[in-house]
Parts: sequence; structure tokens; C-alpha cells
Amino acid sequence: MIDYFWYAFLVPLSTAIGFVVLGLGGTFFKKGGGFIAVIAEGAALVFGVFFAYQESLSSTLYHDTSFVWFALPDGTSFVMGTLVSPLGALMLLVVNIVGFLVVLYSMEYMAHEEGLPRYYAEMMLFLTAMNGLVLADNYLEFILMWELVGLCSYLLIGFFWKKPEAASAAKKAFLVTRVGDVLLFVGVFIFFTSLGGIVDPSITTSPYPGQVCSSAGINWACAGFTFAPPNADSNVVFLSANSVASVTARDPNLMTLAGLLILGGAAGKSAQFPLHTWLPDAMEGPTTVSALIHAATMVAAGVFLLAITSIYIGFTPTAALVVLAIGGFTSLFAGTMGLVARDIKRVIAYSTMSQLGYMVMAVGAASLVAIGPGAAMFHLFTHAFFKALLFLSAGSIIHALGTQDLFAMGGLLRKMPVTGYTMLIGALALSGIPPFSGFFSKDGLLSLTWTAAQHYPGALVFFLMALVGVLLTALYIFRLWFLAFSGTEARESSAHPAHEPSWVMRAPLVTLAGLTLVAGFLPLLSGFSHLLPGVQWGAFGYASSGSGFSFSQTDLFLGLVSLGLALTGLLTAYALWGNGRVFRLADESPLKGLHTVLVRKYYFDEAYDGLAHGGVLGIARAFDWFDRYVIDGTVHAFEDLFRIASERGRRIQTGLVSSYVSWVVFGLIVLVFFFLYALPYLTSAWGGG
Amino acid sequence: MSFDIPSIAQYTPEATVFIGVILVFMLDVAGIRSRAIIGGATSIFLLLAFLQVLADLGSWPLQGLSTLPAGLLGTQNGPVIFTNFGLIFQGIFLLSALLVALASVSEADGEEVPTFYALLSLAALGMLFVAISADLIFLLLSVEITGIATYVMVGYTRKDRRAVEAAMKFYIIGALSTAISFFGASLLYGAYGTTSLTAFRALPANSSLALVGFGMVAVGLGFKATLVPFHMWAVDVYDGAPASVSAFLAAGSKKMGLFGIFIVFVAAVRIFASAQGFALYLALGALAVITMTVGNVMALEQTTMKRMLAYSSIAQAGYMLLGIAIDTPAALAGATLQITADVLMKAGAFIVVGAAVGLGVGPLITDWRGVGHSRPGIGASFAIMLLSLAGMPLTLGFVGKFYLFFAAVEAGGYFTLLAIAGLLNSALSVFYYARILRYMYMPESTGSATVGAHPLSHSSLGVGNAPAAPAWGSVRDEIRGTGSARWATVVGIALLLLVLGIYPTPIIGAMNSAAQQFLTLGL
Repeated sequence: MIDYFWYAFLVPLSTAIGFVVLGLGGTFFKKGGGFIAVIAEGAALVFGVFFAYQESLSSTLYHDTSFVWFALPDGTSFVMGTLVSPLGALMLLVVNIVGFLVVLYSMEYMAHEEGLPRYYAEMMLFLTAMNGLVLADNYLEFILMWELVGLCSYLLIGFFWKKPEAASAAKKAFLVTRVGDVLLFVGVFIFFTSLGGIVDPSITTSPYPGQVCSSAGINWACAGFTFAPPNADSNVVFLSANSVASVTARDPNLMTLAGLLILGGAAGKSAQFPLHTWLPDAMEGPTTVSALIHAATMVAAGVFLLAITSIYIGFTPTAALVVLAIGGFTSLFAGTMGLVARDIKRVIAYSTMSQLGYMVMAVGAASLVAIGPGAAMFHLFTHAFFKALLFLSAGSIIHALGTQDLFAMGGLLRKMPVTGYTMLIGALALSGIPPFSGFFSKDGLLSLTWTAAQHYPGALVFFLMALVGVLLTALYIFRLWFLAFSGTEARESSAHPAHEPSWVMRAPLVTLAGLTLVAGFLPLLSGFSHLLPGVQWGAFGYASSGSGFSFSQTDLFLGLVSLGLALTGLLTAYALWGNGRVFRLADESPLKGLHTVLVRKYYFDEAYDGLAHGGVLGIARAFDWFDRYVIDGTVHAFEDLFRIASERGRRIQTGLVSSYVSWVVFGLIVLVFFFLYALPYLTSAWGGG
Repeated sequence: MSFDIPSIAQYTPEATVFIGVILVFMLDVAGIRSRAIIGGATSIFLLLAFLQVLADLGSWPLQGLSTLPAGLLGTQNGPVIFTNFGLIFQGIFLLSALLVALASVSEADGEEVPTFYALLSLAALGMLFVAISADLIFLLLSVEITGIATYVMVGYTRKDRRAVEAAMKFYIIGALSTAISFFGASLLYGAYGTTSLTAFRALPANSSLALVGFGMVAVGLGFKATLVPFHMWAVDVYDGAPASVSAFLAAGSKKMGLFGIFIVFVAAVRIFASAQGFALYLALGALAVITMTVGNVMALEQTTMKRMLAYSSIAQAGYMLLGIAIDTPAALAGATLQITADVLMKAGAFIVVGAAVGLGVGPLITDWRGVGHSRPGIGASFAIMLLSLAGMPLTLGFVGKFYLFFAAVEAGGYFTLLAIAGLLNSALSVFYYARILRYMYMPESTGSATVGAHPLSHSSLGVGNAPAAPAWGSVRDEIRGTGSARWATVVGIALLLLVLGIYPTPIIGAMNSAAQQFLTLGL
């Protein structure tokens, strides 16, 4: 069989070429070279779908370590390998489908902005980095791409760099995620020293037949763990508890620490509590960028990191429990803030945080019961489409009205029916109403968490939080929808009359709505289910549980409970905001205080500011003093010394041949003297060296 | 001993270059003196020779075209031996000549044009022989072929008084050094009764005569390699000579001297390994450290670009000498990498300086103010070369230094001190390279390290509405000012520095194995 996967590098290469062409020559093209970006990303889409399809047929790992990037003199080498795994293939689909639609949508949405070549070039780099990230085979390569993703998000969030809010939002996103990145580095370093550094003599070959481990580097597939290869028959990858056990066997505390540090990195990128503060502010970027960041690229990278770590290295039970807890808590925590936001994009941003919380929780739960993180990845997959849909619909509204304030909107359904109905589909999917995709994926991960809670009662609290989160999700997203679309007319008249955008923007909306409808049923295809290790097709919803599990009444019951909660949320939203109603808390209401806390985002920004001013600034001052007087002083002293030496030295260079000749003779005499007298002396002094 | 009819197929690169020389002479006789034709022809022949060397090295995709007879590699044949290490250096030498030939196509036409190209090819021919020599006399004679050609090249324009003066200085010091090194060779012959470098390696260290001999040979070769204190001519000559000739001297002829020191001292160190080897390492290490320190310190206060580059070139020679002063395969591979990088950086930098006249930039460092913005292509390329010279990551200059210093640390003990000295020197050198970058890119009014505009405006990709956007019109202007061949050479060198700096694995692999063979085999 021809190994198609050798060509997997074509996926990131397509957009990389787009980046180079647009980055260097973008100004030559009309409209900032948008069509180049569409072609480049279109090519990446074709390749991505092709490789994902191939992977779904074979469902084995393709691992290529032949490309050595850099070899050190002592034989250590850094490999830029390719790993086409089921999870990576799934991500290729997500990244490129959403990426393509977003780039297409940008053609009209961004048409009137300045600096378009920069925009498209950065989008291309963003997609390149993300495609590279999902194909990376070791942590070094992964971090390289991870950093590129971070850089691009900084550049794109700050795209309107003349706007101070955008510039500071970009900085905030970069700095907050950086905290996570540092944690990730340390975590990876622990893995590297405690796992990659140990050459386990019993494991010199990859667990996958026909693949060779390089002794150096830190290849995931060769990190020295045994785990069962993908079992094509049952469509389940059982990460047999072996992987966790083997990690635990090394040094449980160290491995727990490493797992938590990795979680820190993921929390930064995926905006999990307590590193979530950058996400709402990041709404200052163009809506298309928000759609890409929230659906397919940046925040997905964090969940992907957790998923691959859980598969290839494994979390210790303690670490897994913390992962579950952080995710479960964030899902509720973010939802509460989403209830009160006025900005249409911020509501969706909080929903992202909350949904990512579900995914993180599911990875933790999957690790606890030692199965693959398919449930989380499936939610990532369905979420990508309906979240991109929600953002792009919101973009359509913003494009038409020029405002982002929900309370200024209203009655848009009649003027923008396509936008309205597609957004409704997105909202239904987000709330988890069948038959839309969100129901299946959310149900799957809830039932998985329930299973985990059977074994680890501590998880029950966070499971309940997640259930309350389901109610809130429906509540805030339908608050948004009713405020924007219901009623007869806008509450504030805008400068522009509301209108539908052209097909360039409508086509992605309709496509995404269609994908949102079908995505939930995709695991019925046996090929697709290969891409989701750990997910089983149950009779009702997707039951993600351990081995030997099939349909059970618990599962049915859970599905009904979450559906009931979602419908409750929907109906409450209708009662409060439906039909053009606007519900606001009265000033004397006892809930007003809570409302303020939520609007101020639990005062996290203020707290972090205080921390920075009090703690960090003090330390910084001390370092500043040291830097200014000790380091700079030393440097300046040397600078003066060398300057004087240089100045004096110029006098030796007379320009006269005779003086040069005498220097040559001088050198000769010194050499001969050294060889004749000093050398024998030194030799006898050292006894032959 | 049987006498086979010697195969000459292995001399294809040398023959190619030689045919190029004859062709240039014939064109001269025919009255054709256009740079485009003569320079183009020379470049083609040098390129063919270069590709042939790559083929002989077995580089993809030319490996099938090798003309080396089987079994020839590593066996001495009279005064000649073919090794992968020597072949790599043949490639390096040809590359330096090729770059200079290409870039000088853009210079003014004149009656001396054929002379220049003929001399350039002849000098390259001498260097090719140096790279395959296995005998001290053959080595010194080959060095002299190149030497005489370069003496004339420095003064070839004849009308420029400073160039003629430089040529005279070069010649006098060169003659003196050559005389000393031949004297040394005769002492070695007196001591051992042979001049074969391979034979030296197997001989015992029996006389101080040999030590003096090696010392004197080192003077002659150290002159070419601009080791301190035999470096003084270099500053005046690099400054006075036409920039393209300086490029060739710094990129090509200096590397020949270093290669000569490598092969002579590999033998010397082996001779004295048992008894005085370590002290010899000490001497070479001291020479290297003194050379890099003097070069870097003197470069600090220079005001003209060419003299600054001349001193930086002297400093670079110090780093490269570490290759033999550490004498491990990794160090030698690192030195070879550094030499390759330096060929690109120094040839490129001098070519840029030569092109600056056409761009209206004066000889002083301060004349480069704002060039980064007004001449985006040349400015960016020059910036990459300077960053590479300073040893910044993602450039080839970093890879070479990293390898060298890593090898020094790996060798341990006293050699670690060499790595520290090298690192400190690198830090020192950043000072004067960064100064040029500051002139080129910082706003003129402040000239300090504060950036006036919004930070984000500089982090953008330099396209669209960012203030540093390259105006394509000014690129067209600068191509007109420098000439397209020269512009393309400069930009090509910069790209090569970046590409090889990001992905050096192919050349590292070749150099590692070649250095390994070179140290274990005969030569």
C-alpha cells in the first residue's frame, strides 16, 4: 500500500506558501489577496480531508521521524516528525473546514478594512501553525507550533492596532497565555528528563508495528509506554490502564506535578479558570478572528494538548481529577458571566469558555476511567461548527448594524432571515437540543463524567456544576438570540438599515448550519468513529464509558435530565426576553449585587492587577536596580576598557610596511621561542600533558 | 612500484577552471571585454567546477556524476590526496570565487576586465590544489599560485593609488612570509628527510629543528589566514583594494590559509602528540584567542565600513582556528561550518559595501543611517549578514559558532576555557555589529534604542499599513543602483544564510563525517 501519509506535510505547507506569498507580496493583489488565501486554505482543506479520510480507513498511527531538524555534536537530535493519529486527523478536519469557511467569509466581512495583506498573511500563518501542531510528533515541535499559534493570536487580536483597547487586549491575551506556556515548558521538561531521558531497554521499538523509535528526542509514540494499539474491531482505543500505571510507577508525585503543569498550559490557551481573563477582551479582534480562535485554532490547541497527553503519557489519577475539576468548574463559572454580558460577541466568548470547560472535564474523566479522550474530542468537533456558526452570524449582524450591543438590537429576524435561522440552529446545538450535534456530544461527555464520578465521588460535585451549566447555556444563548432577533423592530435605530450579507458571507453560514445538523450523526459511520478513541455508539446518544458498557438506563436518564435542563433554560429565556421583551433587574432587587459581581467578571482583572502592582512590580523594581547598577555598570566598565584598548590599538596600525614587517618578525621570534624553550618546559611541567 | 598511466578524471574541477582561464584570455585577444560576457563565462565555468565537486562529494542529486575513480579517496598519490574534507574545501573555495565573479558582473566595464577574471580563476585554481595537497612543498607552491594572483588583483585597476599601495604592501609582506615558510619547509626536510604531510604523522618527535620548522610554516600560512600578529597587512589591503577583491581575499584566500594550517598542524600535533602535544594545543589555542580578541577589540572603534569588516574578518579567523586547536571531529566540523558561513557572510558584506557606492552610500559607518528603510532589499540582506556574523540564532553564523563552542565544551578541561573566550568575544562583537544595525534601522532623530512608534506597528509583518512597509519602487531603484547580478548575489547569500541557519542538517552531516575521516585517516 502506498503510504499517502508521507505527504501529510502538504497540509501545513499549503497555507505556509500562502503566508509567504501574502506576507511578501500581498500589496500587489486586489483586495489584499483574499483569493490567494482562499486558494491556499482550500488546498489545505482538500489535503486535510483526504488525510483524515485515509486515517479513518486505516486508523493506525503513521509516524515518521526521518526529518532531523538539528543534530548536536554529541548525537542528540531534534526531530521534526509527522504523526498522523486519529485525533490529529479529526483536528485536521476541524481546523481546515472552519478555517476555509472563515477565510471565505473574510472576503466580504473584512473588505473595507485597512491592512488586509497583513490580515490574510497572519491568518495563513495561524492556520499553518495549527495544522503543524496537530501533526507534531514530539513536544518540542508541538511547543514551536504552540508558540506560533500564540504569536498569531496576539497579532490578530491586535489587528486594529490603532485602537488602544485592541492593542491592550492583544497584550493581555499574550501575557496571560504566556503564564500557561511557562507552566507547560516546565511540565514538558519534567517529562523530558524523567521519561524521554530514560532509555528503557525493554522498549526500543514503538508499540506500533513497523515503526522505529529514534533513541533521542521525545517522541510521543516512543516515550517508553505500553498501550494497546487502536482496536479496529470494537472502534475503541482502550488505553488500558497500563499507560497511567507505568507513569505512576516512575514517581507518582512528579508525574502528578507534570500533569498539572501541562494542564496549566492548556488552561492558558483554552481560557480555563483561573487563566481565563484574556478571552472576553480578545473580542476586540475582528469577528472572523474570534470565530477562528474560538472554533478551530487557539483554544482547541489546549484541549488537544490535554487529549494527546492523556493518550500518550497519561495523567495520574490525582492530576486527572484536577483536570476534571477545573473543566467542570469553568463550565459553570463562565456561564454565569455569559448571563449578564451586553456585547453579543462576549456572550459567545463566555459560551466558548464554558464549552471548553466541558471538554477539559471530559478529558479528565476519560483519564480517570482509562479510556481514550474521544468524548472530549467529539465535543470539540461539533462545537467547532456551531461556535463558528454563532460567531459568523454575529459577525453578519455587526456587519449590518455596526453595533455589538445586544440591547440596541431586536426584530432582526424579518430583515435577516438567513442569519437568524442559521444562528438559531447554532444556539439549539449549543444548548444541547436534539437532533442538533451539541446534544450528542454533550450527552456523551456528561455520561462519561457520571461514570467517572461512580469511581471517584469527588468528581460528583463538578458533574453537578456541569449539569447546572447546561441550564445556563440555554439561558444565555437564547437571551442573546431573543434579544437580537425577536420582537418587531430594533430598540435603537442604527446608522445602517439591517440587511442580509451577500453569498460570500451567507454560504459559510449555511454550510456551517448544515454541518451542525449532520455532525452529531457522523459517528454512525464506522470510519469516522475510528477517529474518536473511547467513544461508543450507544442506543441513545453517544455513551462514552469503559469497556463492557453499552446501553443502560443511567444513560437514558442522563440524556433526559440534560435535555430537560436545556429546555428549562430555553423556556426561561423566552419568558424573560422572548417576543421583544427586555428583562432587566430592578435597582432595588437583592440580586443586583450579584449582577454587579458578574458584570465585573468576579473582579479577576482587578485582582490580577493588584497582584501585578503589589507583588510583581516590587520584584521588578529590585531587579531593575540590580540591572541598572550592577549589570549595566559592569558592562559599561568593560565597554570603556575595550574602547580605550581599541583607540590605543589603532596607533600600532601605522600603515608603514616596515612596521608590519617588524611585527611579522616579532611574531616569528615569539613562535620559535615558544616552540624551542617554552614548549619543552611546559611539557616537562605537565609530564606530557 | 608499478607506474600506471594516471587517471586524470579526478581533476575535472581543476581542468574546468583552467579551461575557463584560457577562454577568458582568448576572449581578451578577440577584443571582447564586456563584463557580462567574460564574467558570465567565468561564472559558468566556476559553477560547473563547483557542481562537479558537489558530485564528487556524492551530494544529492548529483551523486551519479562523480568523476572520482573508485578507491581514490584517502589514498595518497604522489603529492596529492583526495579526501572528503579536501573536497568540501574545494567546494568552499569555488563558492567564494563564484560569488565574487557573479557579483562583479555588475561593475564598470574596462580594459582590465579580462585580467581580473583570469586572475580570479587562477587564484581559485591554486586553492583547488591546496585542498588536495599531501605534500608540504606542493602545498606551499599552490598557496603561492593563489598568492601571486591575488597580489596582482589588489592593484588591478592601476589608476587607484590606494589600491596600488595596498598591492605593494601585500606583496612585500607576502614575499617575506613565503620566504619564511619555505625556510621552515627546508628545516622540516632537514629534520625528517621527507616533505610528505602524511609521512610526518607517523614520525617520532625527535628534534627541535622540526619544531622551528613548523613554527616558520605557521608564519607563512598564518599570514594568509590573517592570524595576529601576521594580520596587519589585511586591514590596509582590504581597505585599499576594490571591494570585490577584498571579498575574495576575506572569503577565499583566507580560508585557504586556514586549511593549510589545518593539514600541516594535524600532522604536527600527531608528531608531538605523545610528548608535547598538549603544549602545542595551548599554543594554537592562544593564537586563536589572541586573534579573535585583537580583531574584535580593534573593530570596535573603526569608523569606515571596510576597515571594520577587515577587523571582524580577522576575529573570525580566530574562531575558525579553534577547529584545529581543539582537534576533535566535532570541532573541525564546526570550524568547517563556520568557514562556510564566513565565506557567505564576508563575501556578501564586502559585495554590499562595493555596491554601496552605486546606492549613494559613503564609506563611513555613519553613512549607513536609514539605509534599512530606504534600501529595503540590500538593507535587510546586509542586516542578515551582520546578524550571522554576530552569531545570532536562525543564521548559519550561529550554527557554526554553536558547533565550535559545543565541541570545545565537549572536549572538556582546558578547552572549555577556549569556549568561554569565544563566547565572550562573540558578545563583544555584537557591540559593533549592532551599532550598524542601529544606524540602518533606528529613527534618525533619536539614534538610540527607543522605538517611537506603537510597539504593535513593529510586530506586524511589515506589509500593508505598517510604517516599515517596503516600498517596491525603492527596491527597483536599488536594483538599478547596484546592478541586477550584484543585487541577486547579495539577496541570494542572505537567503542561503537563513535557510542553512534554520535547517543546517544536510551540510552538518557531510562535514561531520568528513572531519571524522580527515582526523583518523591520513590527511
